[in-house]
Amino acid sequence: MARARAHVSTPPLAAVAWTIGAFLIAAAPHLLAMPAWLASAIVVVCCWRLLGVHRGWPLPPAWPRILLTLLAVALVGIAFGGLWGRRAATSLLCVMLAAKMLELRTLRDLRAVASVSFFLIAAQFLFDERLALLTYLLAGCLSAVAALVVIEQTESAPAGREPDRNHPARILSDAAVLLLLAVPVALVLFVTFPRLAQPLWGLPDNVMDAKTGLSDEMSPGSISSLYADDSPAFRVEFEGSPPSNSELYWRGPVLWHFDGDTWSQAYLTNRMPAAVVPIGPQARRYSVQLEPHERHWLFALDYAINAPDGARKTLDHQMVSRHPITTLTQYQVISNPEFEDMPVLPHTLRRMALHLPDDRNPRTLAMAERLRQAHDDDLELARAVLQWFRDEPFFYSLDSPLLGRHSADEFLFDLRTGYCEYYASAFAILMRAAGIPTRIVTGYQGGFLQPGGSYLLVRHSDAHAWVEIWLADRGWTRIDPTAAVSPERISQGSRSAVDRPRHWFDSDLLRDLLNRYDRLQHLWNRWVLGFDADRQQQFFERLGFPDLSATRLGLLMGVLTAVTAVLVALVWLWQLPRDDRTQRAWRRLLARLRRAGLPKRPGETPLQYAARIRPALANEGELLALVSDYCRLRYGPSGADIDAEAFASRIRRFRAQGREPRTAGGV
Amino acid sequence: MGAARLSTPGDRHHALWRRVLDHWVRRRAPAHPPISLSYRQVFILPTRFGWTLGALMLAMLIGSLNFNNNLGLFTAFIVGGLAINTTLLAYRNLRHLHIRHGLAAPVFAGQTATFQLTVANTEHRLRPGLELVQGSRRTRFEVAPDSTTEVSLAMPTRRRGWQAVGRLRVETRHPLGLFVAWSWFWPEQPLLVWPRPADPAPPLPDGGRGEFGQAVHHDNDGDEFHSLRRWRESDPLHQIAWKASQRHRTLLSREYRRERSPHVVLEFERAPGRDIEERISSLTAWVLKADQTRRQYTLALPDCLVGPGRGRTHRDRCLRALAEFGNR
Repeated sequence: MARARAHVSTPPLAAVAWTIGAFLIAAAPHLLAMPAWLASAIVVVCCWRLLGVHRGWPLPPAWPRILLTLLAVALVGIAFGGLWGRRAATSLLCVMLAAKMLELRTLRDLRAVASVSFFLIAAQFLFDERLALLTYLLAGCLSAVAALVVIEQTESAPAGREPDRNHPARILSDAAVLLLLAVPVALVLFVTFPRLAQPLWGLPDNVMDAKTGLSDEMSPGSISSLYADDSPAFRVEFEGSPPSNSELYWRGPVLWHFDGDTWSQAYLTNRMPAAVVPIGPQARRYSVQLEPHERHWLFALDYAINAPDGARKTLDHQMVSRHPITTLTQYQVISNPEFEDMPVLPHTLRRMALHLPDDRNPRTLAMAERLRQAHDDDLELARAVLQWFRDEPFFYSLDSPLLGRHSADEFLFDLRTGYCEYYASAFAILMRAAGIPTRIVTGYQGGFLQPGGSYLLVRHSDAHAWVEIWLADRGWTRIDPTAAVSPERISQGSRSAVDRPRHWFDSDLLRDLLNRYDRLQHLWNRWVLGFDADRQQQFFERLGFPDLSATRLGLLMGVLTAVTAVLVALVWLWQLPRDDRTQRAWRRLLARLRRAGLPKRPGETPLQYAARIRPALANEGELLALVSDYCRLRYGPSGADIDAEAFASRIRRFRAQGREPRTAGGV
Repeated sequence: MGAARLSTPGDRHHALWRRVLDHWVRRRAPAHPPISLSYRQVFILPTRFGWTLGALMLAMLIGSLNFNNNLGLFTAFIVGGLAINTTLLAYRNLRHLHIRHGLAAPVFAGQTATFQLTVANTEHRLRPGLELVQGSRRTRFEVAPDSTTEVSLAMPTRRRGWQAVGRLRVETRHPLGLFVAWSWFWPEQPLLVWPRPADPAPPLPDGGRGEFGQAVHHDNDGDEFHSLRRWRESDPLHQIAWKASQRHRTLLSREYRRERSPHVVLEFERAPGRDIEERISSLTAWVLKADQTRRQYTLALPDCLVGPGRGRTHRDRCLRALAEFGNR
């Protein structure tokens, strides 16, 4: 009894090691996203426990365990500012599992840890679904399955026998086979499982990690972190040829309100629907695959005709999704660049678009005064400013300091070096001071057209800000002050605006590789991540199942899954006892005898059969020797002293030689 | 066969349900060894861990569906695929497993019998992670490719008599412990339980009364009082029974004898004990004692007579008669 208990308190090292390994692999991306002290604490606990099992240390008593767990939970709460939100929740899960390591007592505990590893893997994809993570998915699942295999082998090993199949390579190959067999079934389920057209519940805003991406506010200096971020923001596939780079202004948040430091959105314009945009002759059709940015807006060229399902258009032609974009989102857009936005400007909007805070930027106000007197026409005034930007020593640079209280003054008259935000903000202030209704549009400009023109890749580093002024005869008109200073920024993309490579690895070769990889990623996004309810419907329509309801789809899923499982079973699982050389040779012998008119009766053993037919054969001695060798090869103790190779060649040479007079009578 | 079933209180609680189930299982397919397991005999259900992982998978599924997270969904589906394949693998581990005869050597009531089952694997692959289960007792085993294994299962006994081995199951949780596949069968050969020998063993009854015609050797210098007889001159004084002599008005001396018969008759009526079971126990002890002293003995039960004889076969016949007595 004491022995049994001792056995229970320490599961074998192999099982513990595999389980902890599976946990660490599944938790790796979560650990990397955690505060370093928390991640290292979790790793230390795992290593300590592993060493403990190896050395046979007893488990720590209950109270320090509980204390430590509560402490860790409290620290997670403090580190994440609460236990809600995905990152905090998964970190908490990791902490709880690490705490579980301190009381790995039974195989059941190990199973619990190994199965939660699957959950950790699935949870990671809420943060990131890139193609590269496919390796993480497979490695994580493989190690979790391997842990389950080891645990099961430990549990079911005959008493008093060390399982000899515990060799790591053997376990990995067993697990790999199991995983490989599961993949076809998983694929069928993936394609056929009915998807939700609408989520069951939405995510509350701002519970997730702050992601790098466009902010809904702008104060000069804040986008700068985006320029270093080469990760994709979205990809666009155009129907027909893509427009030139200078037309690619991807509209995002539109900023109306300026408090002296920060530009922000106006509640009013955000809540009002946009005017209807007709489809003109210049309309462009394209589809966008938007990477998750955890905010609500969608990007489109000016001016989108339609908002996709689950989104709406605002007064200033932003597209706002009902739910935050937490997964790769695809939508179709038609844009009409010739649309005239708001030919008549309502009074409230004019007031909003002219508002400036008091006692700021006196030099700018004075300059606006001078400009106003020189130019009657608003457009001419704006052009004069752009010309001024060109003539005076203004520079484009990403390394610019934050501006103080009189930001426009400091920029226009002292600094004269900055990037789009500086120019847009200062220009907008100048326009408003001159009495021209102005708003700032943020978004992305340009993009990298993949060779062959298959799609356009827009990166976060393409983030941009520009200005729209309202003109009496043209409505809202786009003006890009940055273009006046750094035209190549607009015509060739953000990279050209920077003089030197930003990283030591920023070479052409690497960029080419990255572009190639992005093409794979694009296909992945398109066919795997973008496979939603609509795509599923299209897929089955193409297969000849139009109009599948969820019920029918469910039925189809059941049937297809069963068929796949059975096919997998037939092809792999059932691999009937392999027809080895001996068996093939024996069958050849039987066939030969059958042709000689001496078929074997069903149910007859080889020896009975030989005894029955021997009177009919002249070379009965040869036959008897073959049959007895066959019996020893097949049923004798393994390693029978007969060479299977020689046996097979003897059978090949064997010919049934009839004994004429006696065969007729039969036996 | 009025055999006592092996049963625990928990089993009895479900007696009716169990009888219905047994009936159904037996009707489905042959249930007495030798059998070769096929899909009609194999049942599969998730284990508790299987249900847990299923719940976890459902959570992953709903979460990923809600966020339209395709990789999360795929992870959940991989778990689902593992589960589906596991059922097939568990079934495959049992399929075409041959369960041959099962036997148990007789034991005395109260001892633990060892039930030996022969399991054959005619396929060229290992069958790992098998278990032979009865109630809470289980034996783990595996069968190597193309080979035969003897599995033994301990079975406690309580009462003498023929005891049905009852429902046994061969089960497997291979390969992941998500599902348990099992097969029920009922070995036909019941288990013989000999009566528990009385402890301490009563002394063997001495002196056959000659009914069977064997010679009885007398030995006068024994120490056991036998009878009174007329005094002879050679008798020592202390043998004289003075009181009896006075009553009979003649000198009588006590005769002592030791009977040295090679044959013992073990009679039910003469066996010490307050009830039948105690007498049976005494008789059992006698049989063992007589066998140990290598004497010839006869077991005389009210309804049958075993012997005379000696040796192991005879002993086993006697013990079996004792086990069956009153139970037949």
